[in-house]
Amino acid sequence: MTEVTAPASPRAVAPGTPVASVPPAPDVLLELRGLRTEFRTMDGIVRAVDGVDYAVRVGKSLGVVGESGSGKSVTALTVMRLLESNATTTGEVWFGGRELLGMSGHDIEALRGSEMAMIFQEPLTSLNPVFTVGDQIAEQVRRHKKVSKKEAWGQAIEAIRLVGIPSPERRVKQYPHELSGGMRQRVMIAMALSCEPKLLIADEPTTALDVTIQAQILELLKEIQARTGSALLLITHDLGVVAEMVDEVVVMYGGQVVERGPVEEVLIRPSAPYTVGLIESIPSVEKRGGRLHAIKGVVANPFNLPPACRFEPRCPYAWELCRTEAPPLVQISDSQVARCHLHTPAGADRRPGLEMDRARLIASEPGPVAVRP
Amino acid sequence: MTEPLVGVASDDLPPMSPEEAVEIVEEQQREEQLVHALPDEWIKADVPEGAPLLQVTGLKKHFPIMGGFLRKRIGTVYAVDGVDFDVRKGEIFSIVGESGCGKSTLGRTVLQLLKPTEGKVTFAGEDITGWNNTRMRPYRKRMQIIFQDPFGSLNPRMPVSDIIGEGLMAQGVRDGKVRTERTESALEAVGLRRSYTRRFPHEFSGGQRQRIGIARALALEPEFIVCDEPVSALDVSIQSQILNLLLDLRKEYDLTYMFISHNLSVVEYFSDRVAVMYLGQVHELATVEQMYHSPKHPYTMALLSAIPKPDPRIRSRRLVLKGDLPSPAAPPSGCRFHTRCWLREHLGNPEVCATDDPGLRDMGEGHQVRCHFPDEVTADAAQSAAHSASRVDTAVPNA
Repeated sequence: MTEVTAPASPRAVAPGTPVASVPPAPDVLLELRGLRTEFRTMDGIVRAVDGVDYAVRVGKSLGVVGESGSGKSVTALTVMRLLESNATTTGEVWFGGRELLGMSGHDIEALRGSEMAMIFQEPLTSLNPVFTVGDQIAEQVRRHKKVSKKEAWGQAIEAIRLVGIPSPERRVKQYPHELSGGMRQRVMIAMALSCEPKLLIADEPTTALDVTIQAQILELLKEIQARTGSALLLITHDLGVVAEMVDEVVVMYGGQVVERGPVEEVLIRPSAPYTVGLIESIPSVEKRGGRLHAIKGVVANPFNLPPACRFEPRCPYAWELCRTEAPPLVQISDSQVARCHLHTPAGADRRPGLEMDRARLIASEPGPVAVRP
Repeated sequence: MTEPLVGVASDDLPPMSPEEAVEIVEEQQREEQLVHALPDEWIKADVPEGAPLLQVTGLKKHFPIMGGFLRKRIGTVYAVDGVDFDVRKGEIFSIVGESGCGKSTLGRTVLQLLKPTEGKVTFAGEDITGWNNTRMRPYRKRMQIIFQDPFGSLNPRMPVSDIIGEGLMAQGVRDGKVRTERTESALEAVGLRRSYTRRFPHEFSGGQRQRIGIARALALEPEFIVCDEPVSALDVSIQSQILNLLLDLRKEYDLTYMFISHNLSVVEYFSDRVAVMYLGQVHELATVEQMYHSPKHPYTMALLSAIPKPDPRIRSRRLVLKGDLPSPAAPPSGCRFHTRCWLREHLGNPEVCATDDPGLRDMGEGHQVRCHFPDEVTADAAQSAAHSASRVDTAVPNA
């Protein structure tokens, strides 16, 4: 059964899931509870997202980090209900006090674009090549607001001005191919912001861009967040971008959350072996001359996931328990959780190994660089 | 394994037998040997460690823009526009820059895969500028390239044995047993199983494909490899595996790398010397220590400041460049960077930047800079430029 054709009953998505529970606290804008997304493919069923929980608070930013195939983008597409018809979703997605997965296609369309908007990685393929950028923004505005064509056009110009594109009157009349990569990404952001959404989902917004343009776009996103007070869900593989942009971070691996917490805690005191490995793999000048730490093996194959802990085949700390029993998410501190047996009583005597590696990591953490203004 | 040669015959000719094909190739090669008598020992003339292996002088590569009714030349893209540098034997020399700065074109022009418009490329003392494929062939063995895209750079219809063996074939290794042996040992050297030779590219992950690309270069036992963004398309955890592999191979086979990348963190970790390119020209050339600790060019400083650091404790204000990279078909006058330069603005827009090319100047200890005011490039100047550029309402508190 697919979301789009699902009848507007409260819990039409999957039989057997608990019937609508309590909505989250009012300061939580978006909350995912036990979200599972599966795709039926020619080669079998792929469980792309497998029991994901996280929350974005009103006006705050959350980063979702992971490598390709970790399920980070599919989670976002599930929230936006933009999945293909071969997907099945269970769990709950609460947005502004309403549950999205059980909502009718019509209701979700009204929400999408106006209350929550998404920016994609590749701006050239996300923009329609046969319409001017002004047409595309004005169309979005007219879809969600009762305004005349002329007013919508005026708002399109205003939106383009807001994202810092010079001479917006001229730019609105141009086609996507006439703009540079950074400019197109600004147009995407302008379009996403045109209806002042409460939540902006950015899926690898700067991955296709050069560093200097990436810096421009990241500054723009920060600026817009500060000005409009919208919440940001930032999906990226770049820990540097996360460190600069977000308040909280979720690390995903093999369709699961492996670590979650405030960015200062997760990046400085990582607790899941995968997060430790990711941070250790970042090349830096301190590691010159020596070998880079590499996580062995390859990213988990979603068709053939390890039976218990999904990171076990690549994990330097793994032992028998990791091959037989799936680790739970363990509370590390008030705000930080990690999915690893090392933090359960059974792994207590092995924990010093992780702590030693982590201490080494903190010691090699770069201090402020002289040239950074 | 001589079948691939049969495919050389065009449709209207009767198919050649493998023996015939081999004969034809052998004859061609005998001819070539006569024309360009380049005995192997002479080619392998040793370059001592640290001496220049590759010398590039005044290298230019311009591409015509054709257009209009008669497809006349209506403009020129100045992709590489006067580049000088040496790559010393045994070092890792990196070229960094944004997309469109000409770094990949430079890599290909150096290897004579693109014919230089002007300038000189010398490899191991031999001027190879403008050599055609036939003359270059003995050099192809010594100068190899690894490409960025592990998906686009491997022929999906070829098994790994052919992908890696093709280069050996072109170099005249006709004994199938020898080819197989060298293919398998190249696979082993890059950490793949010997038995993978019969597999096709789609059976491998991105990281493994990149290893195949490296094995293909390695099979010819080169001395010099141009690595064109070899890790940009890979996941972070796989990226470090490949970087480690490249470092191990360098040690084991005495390789010299020219490493092309847009990732400044990777370059800082990986290389000995770095050249920063902007619009077809080198704007700063220095050792990694000089470049990352005391950059002398405002563009380098902006690039360094743009790298997001994976430490939330140093969340701070960036030096953000205005606008996009100008078109390499119409580069700005004077210093090419002046249209986006924060330092020029900071100094009150001096006229000289827009009128005169500063030229690449040596600041001592081999640190070369293309800027009129290299002494003004200081952390304080950058700090004040970053502050004046940002608007009050966007202030982001430091964590």
